[in-house]
Amino acid sequence: MRKAIALLLVAFVCLAGVAAGGSGEGGSSGDTYKIGFIGPLTGDNANYGIRCSNAARLAIDEINAAGGIGGKTLELIAEDSEGTVDKALASYEKLAYMDNVCAIIGPVFTSPALAVAQRCQEDGIVMISPSATHKDVTAQPATNPDGLNYVFRTVPSDALQSEVAGHYFYEVLGYRKLASLYAMNDYSQGLALGMKETFESLGGEVVAEETCMVGDKDFRAQLTQIRSAGPEAVYIPNYTVEDALILEQASQLGLNVQFLSSDGFSDPELYNLAPDFTDGVVYVGPAQAEASTKLADFQAAYAAAYNGDAPDSFATNSYDATYIIAGAIERAGSADTTAIRNEVAATKDFQGANGTMNFAANGDLVASQGVYDVEGIIPVYVGAFQIVDGHIVQVD
Amino acid sequence: MTVLSGGLSPSGSLLFISEKDVSTISLYMQYIVNGLTLGAIYSLIALGYTMVYGILKFINFAHGDILMVGAFIGLLIYNALTGGEAAAPGAWTIIAFVIATLVSMVACGLLGMLIERIAYKPLRNANRLAPLLSAIGVSFILSNGAAWIFGTKSRRFPYPFENEPIHIGSITITPHQIVIVAVSVLMMILLASFVSRTRMGKAMRAASLDQPTSMLMGINVNKVISLTFALGSALAAVGGILASFDFRVYPSMGTMTGLKAFVAAVIGGIGNIQGAMLGGILLGILEAVGAPLLHIPNGMKDTVAFAVLIIVLLVKPDGILGKNEREKV
Amino acid sequence: MLNFFQLILIYAGIYAIMAIGQNCITGYTGMLSLCHAGFFCIGSYATAIMCKTFGLSFWLSLPVAAIATGLIGLLIGIPTLRLKGDYLCIATLGLGEIIRNIATNLNPVGYNSIPRASLFGYQFASRNKVAFIILIWAFVLIFYVLFQQLAHSRLGRAMIAVREDEVAAQSNGINVTKYKISSFVLGAAVGGIAGCLQTAYTLTVQPGSYTFMVSVMVLCTVVLGGMGNAKAVILGAFIIQLISYLPQLTGLTNVIPAQAKQIIYGLLLVVMMLCRPQGILGRDRFRYGDPRTRREKLHDFFIRPAGKAREARHENP
Repeated sequence: MRKAIALLLVAFVCLAGVAAGGSGEGGSSGDTYKIGFIGPLTGDNANYGIRCSNAARLAIDEINAAGGIGGKTLELIAEDSEGTVDKALASYEKLAYMDNVCAIIGPVFTSPALAVAQRCQEDGIVMISPSATHKDVTAQPATNPDGLNYVFRTVPSDALQSEVAGHYFYEVLGYRKLASLYAMNDYSQGLALGMKETFESLGGEVVAEETCMVGDKDFRAQLTQIRSAGPEAVYIPNYTVEDALILEQASQLGLNVQFLSSDGFSDPELYNLAPDFTDGVVYVGPAQAEASTKLADFQAAYAAAYNGDAPDSFATNSYDATYIIAGAIERAGSADTTAIRNEVAATKDFQGANGTMNFAANGDLVASQGVYDVEGIIPVYVGAFQIVDGHIVQVD
Repeated sequence: MTVLSGGLSPSGSLLFISEKDVSTISLYMQYIVNGLTLGAIYSLIALGYTMVYGILKFINFAHGDILMVGAFIGLLIYNALTGGEAAAPGAWTIIAFVIATLVSMVACGLLGMLIERIAYKPLRNANRLAPLLSAIGVSFILSNGAAWIFGTKSRRFPYPFENEPIHIGSITITPHQIVIVAVSVLMMILLASFVSRTRMGKAMRAASLDQPTSMLMGINVNKVISLTFALGSALAAVGGILASFDFRVYPSMGTMTGLKAFVAAVIGGIGNIQGAMLGGILLGILEAVGAPLLHIPNGMKDTVAFAVLIIVLLVKPDGILGKNEREKV
Repeated sequence: MLNFFQLILIYAGIYAIMAIGQNCITGYTGMLSLCHAGFFCIGSYATAIMCKTFGLSFWLSLPVAAIATGLIGLLIGIPTLRLKGDYLCIATLGLGEIIRNIATNLNPVGYNSIPRASLFGYQFASRNKVAFIILIWAFVLIFYVLFQQLAHSRLGRAMIAVREDEVAAQSNGINVTKYKISSFVLGAAVGGIAGCLQTAYTLTVQPGSYTFMVSVMVLCTVVLGGMGNAKAVILGAFIIQLISYLPQLTGLTNVIPAQAKQIIYGLLLVVMMLCRPQGILGRDRFRYGDPRTRREKLHDFFIRPAGKAREARHENP
């Protein structure tokens, strides 16, 4: 027994020693700038992560094909977060300490993004999330010695999106009685509660608020309850599979009301899963650049590079994020993370596939929101909207 | 706006039932219809768990993943035969659906036998934990293998028939729900009569009662066990294909469905075929009715399902229809 | 590479503590429980709430987490532990799912920006992994020694007797229910402490991290190492974490398909069960000059004739 404990102690001390020796390890990036990506590449929601990493890779290939940055090439290191906090943190550790990346794109989902944002703030590594919409993501305190903000995102905060949604549904579409059906996760709940707050502050009423779990497949109980509450429209800010099933089951239950959704609805996969039921859905998503061919160019390049697959709005954000980082590295002229951070923060009127982009001081995107009306399986762009003095205004 | 107030809007009071009561009743009727569909699928899958447990006394955790394999095979064959999404529903799509289901049943039956031979048979005399963990291992291999081959994307199983909702009063039913319930009931009747009428069924019952004695009576227990796995897996394949109308086809589709079906089997009384059917239907209806009845958010319906499981286990550990086996000293 | 090895040490430590708790329940007392993820979850949440909402220090939240988890273990243990074998397994599995479901419904975002732990003015920052390695492995060591002592104490011997033969134990005057519940509560509390330490490291708590898979992984850790053997369990935790981070460790994340490690787990489990069901360090009772074949030995080891069952195992490593 004693011998065993002694052995274990020795082993433990040895390991700790080895580990302590390793902690001073640092690496130079050689003739490449490394950019990390964290997102779910496996698991049930892997489609979001795979598209975002594909888009980032596409951007990097384009930059490298055009000669790279200052003679150096970019390299994307994509890590799988499996959509969970633990794995996202492990991915972060690998990227930050083993690969010594100069910036990170991702994480794709909110919870991992919240956890990784904390670490990025602490270690002073730029993080740009293409899709984590929760309002707290950019609210992480800057714990690095300089007190600088290192967390940015190329997706509007759900606070903004839900505000525009609430106003649009009340003022433009003229609804007074809405129902919502949302999954209990950070993304859907954030949007649904935010929309409700705005909508009710305007004088509307949310007559039924139903929840489900991510991964649920049967929404008939919720839809039956919504049907009996008799709303004018139903807000469903969920992931692709859930939204597809909700639309189909609603139609089967004879709940033939207007459905409203969020930027998750831009996923083209949805139109494969529920092609017969998407007609007429209105969703709030990213605003589109006016008279710019960048979006179409990106979509064509993406389809050509990935077997005709179509990108969703998060992939577009990821593509833009990669170009923003590349631009910052070019201007900074080195892999110094603080210099890159300062250049990302200084990004002004960046012309991306999503149009003109600027960051607020907290790292949030300064943006207007787009509204889309789905005709059949084709989302038709209605226009970009902003909230000015408590009222919705179409900006283009 | 809605088609809610359809046929059943009573002008006066019928037997002192107010209009509100009628709409509440029809609301609950709708929940029960929804729950029946879900329950039928659970029952079908629960049968596989219960049959294996009855004979081998172990939880075949890989059963849920066999369901997934069944759904994938069914989908691939159906798409190959009809050309997939584009095919207009008609006689040919229904025939193709039947062929796809049958092929998938055979394939899954063989897969079940194979898994039994490799991963469980050598452990028949080991402690109870060994086959359980081996089954978890097989489940990992199957679901992740499928994710590797097919990707994690959800795929849609096209309806092989016109699926226009039927409105009966304010209750709505779709043909696919009717098909799910009808096929499940048919399968259960076939299985029940196989087990109670045929020689092989008799052997199965004997083996589940007492293996050594049935061996002495000249029953080839190995063959019986193989057959049990084949039958259970074939039923899982049907369950998987039926479930994929509502659930879509994706590699981890079997995990939660399998778990729920297993819960159903336990509620009904594991090892008991009628129990599995009853438990499945009961669980499906409870899931649909439980949350609204208790006025809790629908997100908590899993809590309701598992709480019912625990209550049933505490009140009657052998399940509703289970026979109480006293442990002998 | 070395940096990642440190990470594995941290996670292996956390899993080792959980596995020691599971080992108390499954290895010593022989109850097949599948809700360690639930205990882990309660421990993490208790710490998060104590530190974030009430502003308590980490060190104060540690006993709170342990007590809270222990209490919940007691609460769910009293009714469910009457169940036997597979039924207990299913009931606990259901409880684990209920805990996660309730946690998700209460707050799907969970908690983040939890204050760091500090000791004598030293702040445990996630970046300084060595500090965490020392902290976590100190706990592993404490629990290892504690549970090793436990196995030889009156309490531990009673638990083992319950595992070997409940009826025989009862007829020898052992209060089976009492020992089952104490074992369950102890195991739960240790699981809670593992959750507490994990929270101190990640500073984020999210309900999605406590799935049924975590319970399965903890059980696998115990079985892989060798049931009823605390040293083996720690080894098991190492192996499981090593496989879990194999792609990152080798730097081959872009080469190895992400599903590979799950498939490796699966294969490992099946092969282990077929070839060495007692675990890597599990002890074969009759290995000295025993004339029986391996198969017979295994048979005797697991399905003991009634006569041999009464000799409680004193030679537990």
